[in-house]
Amino acid sequence: MKKFFSSALWHGLLWQAIGWALGASFVTLIRVLMGLKPFATFGFTEPAWVFGGLVGALSFLGGSGVLTDWFKWAKGEETHENHQDPDGWEKFINISLDHKVIGIQYTMAALLLLVVGGIFSLIFRTELASHGLQFLSLQWYNTLMSLHGIVMIIGILLGISGVINYIVPLLIGAHDMAFPRLNAFSYWLAPPAAILLLSSMALGGFDTGWTGYPPLSVRAPVGMQMFFLGVIVAGWSSVLSALNVIATVLRMRAKGMTAFRLPIFVWAAIATSIIALTATQEIGLSFQLVMFQRLFGMGFFDPAKGGDPILFQHLFWFYSHPAVYVFILPGLGIISELLPVFVRKPLFGYRWIAMSSLGIALVGFLVWAHHMYTSGMNEYLRVPFMYSTLLVAVPTGVKFFSWVATIWRGKVTGPYPTAFLFVLGGIVVFLMGGLSGPPNATVATDLHLQDTYWIVGHFHDTLFGGYVLPFFAAIYFWFPKATGRRMNEALGRLHFWLMTPSFIVLTLLMMRIGLLGMRRRIADYDPSLGFDPYHLVMTIAAFIIALSVLIFFINFFRSITKGEPATGNVWNSRSPEWQVPSPMPAHNYEQPFEVVGEPYDYGLADSVYVKFAEKKTGGRN
Amino acid sequence: MRHFVIVGVLVILVAALTYVGLNYMHLMPAEASAQSIPVDWLWNLDIDVISFLLALIIVPIAYSLVVFRRKKGDATDAEHIEGNTSLEITWTIIPLIVVLVFAYLGAYTLGEINVVDPSANEIQVKAIQWAWSFTYPEGFTSKELHLPVNKQVVLKMESGDVIHSFWVPEFRIKQDVLPGRVTDYRITPILIGNYMVRCAELCGASHSYMTAPVIVSSQADYDAWIAAQKASVASAGQTPEGRGGQLATSLGCRGCHTIDGSKLIGPSWQGLYGSQVTLSDGTTVTANDAYLIESISNPSAKIVKGFETAAPMPKFDLTDVQIQDLVAYIATLK
Amino acid sequence: MEHLNKSEALRQGVLVFVFLAVLSALEFFVAIAIGSVTLLVTIALVKFGLVLYYYMHVYKLGATEDPDIDQHSYAYKLTTSRLGLWLFLLSDSFVFGGLAVSRFYLLGMTRPPLNQILGLGVTSVLLLSSFCMNRAEVSMEHGDRKNFTLFTSLTLALGLAFVAGVLGIEWPSAIAEGVTPSASAAGAIFFMMTGMHAFHVITGLIFLIIILRNGSRGLYSPEKHWGVEAATVYWHFIDVVWIFFYPALYLIGKIL
Repeated sequence: MKKFFSSALWHGLLWQAIGWALGASFVTLIRVLMGLKPFATFGFTEPAWVFGGLVGALSFLGGSGVLTDWFKWAKGEETHENHQDPDGWEKFINISLDHKVIGIQYTMAALLLLVVGGIFSLIFRTELASHGLQFLSLQWYNTLMSLHGIVMIIGILLGISGVINYIVPLLIGAHDMAFPRLNAFSYWLAPPAAILLLSSMALGGFDTGWTGYPPLSVRAPVGMQMFFLGVIVAGWSSVLSALNVIATVLRMRAKGMTAFRLPIFVWAAIATSIIALTATQEIGLSFQLVMFQRLFGMGFFDPAKGGDPILFQHLFWFYSHPAVYVFILPGLGIISELLPVFVRKPLFGYRWIAMSSLGIALVGFLVWAHHMYTSGMNEYLRVPFMYSTLLVAVPTGVKFFSWVATIWRGKVTGPYPTAFLFVLGGIVVFLMGGLSGPPNATVATDLHLQDTYWIVGHFHDTLFGGYVLPFFAAIYFWFPKATGRRMNEALGRLHFWLMTPSFIVLTLLMMRIGLLGMRRRIADYDPSLGFDPYHLVMTIAAFIIALSVLIFFINFFRSITKGEPATGNVWNSRSPEWQVPSPMPAHNYEQPFEVVGEPYDYGLADSVYVKFAEKKTGGRN
Repeated sequence: MRHFVIVGVLVILVAALTYVGLNYMHLMPAEASAQSIPVDWLWNLDIDVISFLLALIIVPIAYSLVVFRRKKGDATDAEHIEGNTSLEITWTIIPLIVVLVFAYLGAYTLGEINVVDPSANEIQVKAIQWAWSFTYPEGFTSKELHLPVNKQVVLKMESGDVIHSFWVPEFRIKQDVLPGRVTDYRITPILIGNYMVRCAELCGASHSYMTAPVIVSSQADYDAWIAAQKASVASAGQTPEGRGGQLATSLGCRGCHTIDGSKLIGPSWQGLYGSQVTLSDGTTVTANDAYLIESISNPSAKIVKGFETAAPMPKFDLTDVQIQDLVAYIATLK
Repeated sequence: MEHLNKSEALRQGVLVFVFLAVLSALEFFVAIAIGSVTLLVTIALVKFGLVLYYYMHVYKLGATEDPDIDQHSYAYKLTTSRLGLWLFLLSDSFVFGGLAVSRFYLLGMTRPPLNQILGLGVTSVLLLSSFCMNRAEVSMEHGDRKNFTLFTSLTLALGLAFVAGVLGIEWPSAIAEGVTPSASAAGAIFFMMTGMHAFHVITGLIFLIIILRNGSRGLYSPEKHWGVEAATVYWHFIDVVWIFFYPALYLIGKIL
């Protein structure tokens, strides 16, 4: 406990509360001096809450100490080059500059947010189990549904940063990320962002979904503004993290690690970072414009003032469509990275898979308006966006076919390791998401499908198959690298076999009733449609998934201390991080390595991927 | 080679079974509009391709995992196959052609959906939180959308507040309804029956309940309904409570206030007039003319207990006579 | 490009400034007399190119280095930092790009009724500040601390003048014309674009104060002055944004 109260996290939280109160009081004081109404429904007025929220987030950063080194630089003082972390668990709630610690911090924060978002979904899933309103009010339903969306999205973004942060420097042989302080800063933006988001529940919630379309979002309670602020802060975390990843891959590679000798996951990380670095700014901008419309009456999206609500949708989807590629590209990268290890064969068509990641990322910039076929935007825009959207199927297809060819004639050892099960599950579920995509891309069919439960089923499949299942695969796979112990395989298999089939049932039923007339984002449905039994089954499936997650956490925390020791190359992988003992030492490889061969030459007896330099003679060695 | 033949046969078998199974399930609701036919045609084509691709990916993976699994005592790696450029080119080019064909078909079906009949009926649609109202060329407004079968109609839609979306699942087509702009919804009903328009764009608290009946009937029935409506409008227009009742419909009041005692977003109007109303601050008032006039012209002045967290009622721009008509109407709802 | 001597660097800086000034004047007359959007965009792009190459020396990104260089060395880290800064600018430019797109989406080929002379005035101040910034950086590269301090202070003063001009003169004059944040979408977009730009100018001023202070304490040398370079490139980036925002707000389109 004492360690907690002296941690950066605790100081940050404390300062966020203080900053929030001071900022809000400051605005209120000014309002009093100007003779304006000082208080409103939720205590402070909306401008006071917004300013307080902003000051609170900045105070968190100041209070946690993540800015200290930069302040020293600004004052012209030197800082330590070699930062030492304490040995115990407390390093995870303190500022660390080690990419592995930050990677684990990200992963834990991601798991926490995914659980929170999952609990939200369980609550309103239970509400939906039968028609009529059971225990939620309409406003609470909408708030929980909206928060489920955004909390999951931010959880996924943090999870991606977690895996990338932990594994990319190891894969390319770097001693750390290119900018360790920026890396820590990116991470420490996440806690205040999460608090801002969740605080919206106390301020009336928001009933717009995570898309926050105006004019609805202009009319929502103050909670809306906390949502906007939270997303903007989390967005900066994503932008700066992506910047760091690109710089790291371009500048910190080991000798001989040329473009086509990079592990395939690094290609995925680059592709995802290109999108996150640039497009994220547009969601921030679109939300900022709505914030200002609410605060200052600026009529960007108000038709009465010459504004246009469709403009918001363009700005919003310019990020939010590529965002799904931000989510899935690393997941697909994990699938491509792990498959060869388990099937003991080279990755089929390495260059094609690498290029398909970039292809998806770049085409992904040109497809946003397919979310707007029914929006009333200029009709002639619909056809070109249909072409560009369908084009995404081509590089995605390349990935699938290459995976099939990689698995073909592969020798997998049974019983399947949990990580491999999750890879397979990821392929199957993502395939379902992928195949349910093209009907949404062609305008005519989308006029029926848009805004229905079909869409809900479709994107849950893409995100679960493209991100969540591979994320679990990554955790099971790299857990020994981080802890020197393995997770329990029996519990892992139980986790998989409870989670994946339930999820498939859940989303297939979503699609089924969506086609028949179930709209998305509704708190209640017409009993005459006969959807009650479907919803009941879906609710049961959701609880089975929750049970499987519980099993995962039991396994996860038990294995940290009690797992079977695994310090060697447990997967018999060719990747450099497995050539040294686990857990990884603080400054990564003691001896630098040189890349001398192809990364996935499984089945070629004398082929070597990385060669470690000879230990220096003399000195202590 | 033997493996490829077996897998090929299995793929075709699984694809065919998937396709038959999906078709057997009747995935789509009834086809009630001329526009639903091209949509369903394209949809069925999608289902063909989806069934095939599902089998094409899943079958070889499953087959390989079973047939080529590691045998007992074998510790060697699998065969060293790095890739095959002509194969990669094949599975880039063929999907490319397929998606281009689909994009073309998508544009083609879109064209069929958008075919304009210049003699189409025009009905004005107004959407507000959370009600639909339909103004007919004959000059009256109704909460129901009545359409004659086999006759194209164009709905001129506009929102009074936030974005809504007009969707009748049996018609297939969906179109957002925007504030400050008129969007068109062009449809030719082909199947007599009762349907429901459901708002498909999240529009706030009672989004789920923003529905309205859509009745497709024969031309004769339609004409009879129009005539009956015109007659009732004419007679209702004679009295204040009649005009008030019409206003309650056309303004969409009844999207939130029921007249049968059940609770929606706002208090029910049944038995309201003259009753004792408990307010959010605990005091009670009598629902007399003065109270009702204040509550209509300044909705947030007094909030009824139990409705504090509901979405606030918007202000309507009404004349004094209109407000008095509404009060007169409410007074009739015992 | 790397090794200009002191007088060559001075000549280059002055020449670029003269070109930019002439182009800005030309731009103004094109807007008044011809009103050709194509020409205005072309001029803006040429100005952008000049600043990007000569003042922001974007070519330094492509500098080759010794393959066996130590990754912990200052030279290696300098190149990495440079890359990081440019990636940040790329990201930031999407904010401004989004605003510019919004402006044309909402207003099309119309513009709010603003005082064009005032616009030209603040533009000139910013342009002059970019020249001073370039002089300051070149002075540091050649170890001329006196001129570094002088020109950084000048840049700082001009930057302050720009902010004061926009916030203290331009905004009130626009409000007097009826262009207020809440009156119309045109007013909203004007205040948003100038406000977002002014916010960046203010952050740039903070960086200038930091390098001025650290420079006067002798923390930079001709070999090691990444702080100066970063603040310089950032300052010119602010100028680049204005190169596009100025015609978008003041010159292109008919008055509403």
